[in-house]
Amino acid sequence: MSREEVRESAIDLKFPRHTLVSLLVFVVCWEVLSVLAPALGIPPFAIPSFVKIAKSFATITPIDVVVTLARVIGALIVSFLLGVALAMAMYRSESLEKYLHPMIRLLMAVPVVSWILFAVLWFPGVEFRIGFVLVIVCGPVFLIDSLDAMKGVPRELRHMMRSFRPTTFQFFLKLMMPAIVPSIFTSWKVNISLAIRVVTIAELVGAVTGIGHQLSVAQELFSVADVFAWTLVLVALLFLLEAAVARVETRLLRWRV
Amino acid sequence: MSGPPPIEARGLRKVFRQATTGQSVVAIDRLDLTIAPREVVAIVGQTGCGKSTFFDLMIGLEAPTEGTLNIGDKSPFADFDHFRGRIATVFQQDRLLAWRSALDNAKLPLELIGLPEAEQRERALTWLNRLGLGQFTNAYPHELSGGMRQRVAIARAFVVQPDILLADEAFGHLDEVTAAELRETFLQLARECGSTAVLITHQLEEAIGVGDRIVVFGKSAKLLADIHVAQWPKSRYAVLREAIQATLQANSPDPRLKTPEPATG
Repeated sequence: MSREEVRESAIDLKFPRHTLVSLLVFVVCWEVLSVLAPALGIPPFAIPSFVKIAKSFATITPIDVVVTLARVIGALIVSFLLGVALAMAMYRSESLEKYLHPMIRLLMAVPVVSWILFAVLWFPGVEFRIGFVLVIVCGPVFLIDSLDAMKGVPRELRHMMRSFRPTTFQFFLKLMMPAIVPSIFTSWKVNISLAIRVVTIAELVGAVTGIGHQLSVAQELFSVADVFAWTLVLVALLFLLEAAVARVETRLLRWRV
Repeated sequence: MSGPPPIEARGLRKVFRQATTGQSVVAIDRLDLTIAPREVVAIVGQTGCGKSTFFDLMIGLEAPTEGTLNIGDKSPFADFDHFRGRIATVFQQDRLLAWRSALDNAKLPLELIGLPEAEQRERALTWLNRLGLGQFTNAYPHELSGGMRQRVAIARAFVVQPDILLADEAFGHLDEVTAAELRETFLQLARECGSTAVLITHQLEEAIGVGDRIVVFGKSAKLLADIHVAQWPKSRYAVLREAIQATLQANSPDPRLKTPEPATG
């Protein structure tokens, strides 16, 4: 093992001192603030102690976590399939790209809140509304990233592949898709974070299940402890999904130097 | 046994329009050339003389602007699919797919022609073994040296046992020892397969060492010389080299090329 490798492995195994210290500082500051809140004229419910937050954790309903997770994963899969399929069509047809590209840019410029309002006005079904908002926000990210990645496949490789006379399907299957896998993983990471934020907002409007709905209930009850607990669940969900994607990425991209 | 078909260019012209200036550039201007079955032909010329354009026309990735380029009675461009598994290429850089192991890279053309998986594997392994890569079949390209990667690229070309083998500066980027070794291997395998081989090169030593014929291109692929190497005794190779060099520099045939001494023995 080289000196560099020893150093890297030592870093990997090192105690996460900085992370723990910063978290500890935050917890202590919060706890001090929660004790001092009444003296500072802040209502006690605004900064609950960690004991209260821990109690709120006990009220977390797993079904809401599962529902939100299912919505996010389902919408991301649909967005991914639609995005990549459209990217392939746009890569194949220059004129299709010329017509669709401005439209995609336009869709990406629309704020999420506007999409939620459109969804509420257009669609009666709650699930469809949430799915629509997630797909319309995440789909274009997959599309643009995949299209850019396809265009970035080196000309030499495309030339080599064509010299062996693949069918269009083989060309995409054997060259373009594997070549854009690294970019696709980046899109997934970006979109997981985006989808977690968007689903929460979408669930605030009209949903009767999910983390967003529970956040809405907590807000109506003026329960900061509940909001804190549900927010931590969302953050944990995001980290878990990102870790899962990173694991698949490491496995699939093991060919990389 | 039917051999590979001849390659015939008749009045072949290829004009490109430059995207930036809009001007037309004549890459190949009315080329007439016939390459007989099983011949090994080296095409030499200076940079920008149209060698690579001719290479792309032979692959079928470009259409002639005028004239014809046929392999047998079919055009590699118009009858593109007909040549699947019949034409194979080796490029200047290995152009291996980074996410595929040596074995998977070598069997790529077999996957494209739809051979059963077991046969793909067996044939790819055979060729990798022949090229001395039996121990490295599971290695990814970044784990192999430049010479080994080019060997995988050669295995990928031979694995379909093509009628036509096209190599574009395939050994130019390797060190001289590795390049000489690979040239020798390539030539031996091409002859064993009974393939017609066309090598594009700017290295005269390579052209003289490999080709049955050396075709010298001037500007716009003007045919400056068509040399049958067998007519030149090895003792005169230095003269041949100088004459080709002089031809390329003057962009007109050197008189020494017209009077080769007959081969002795």
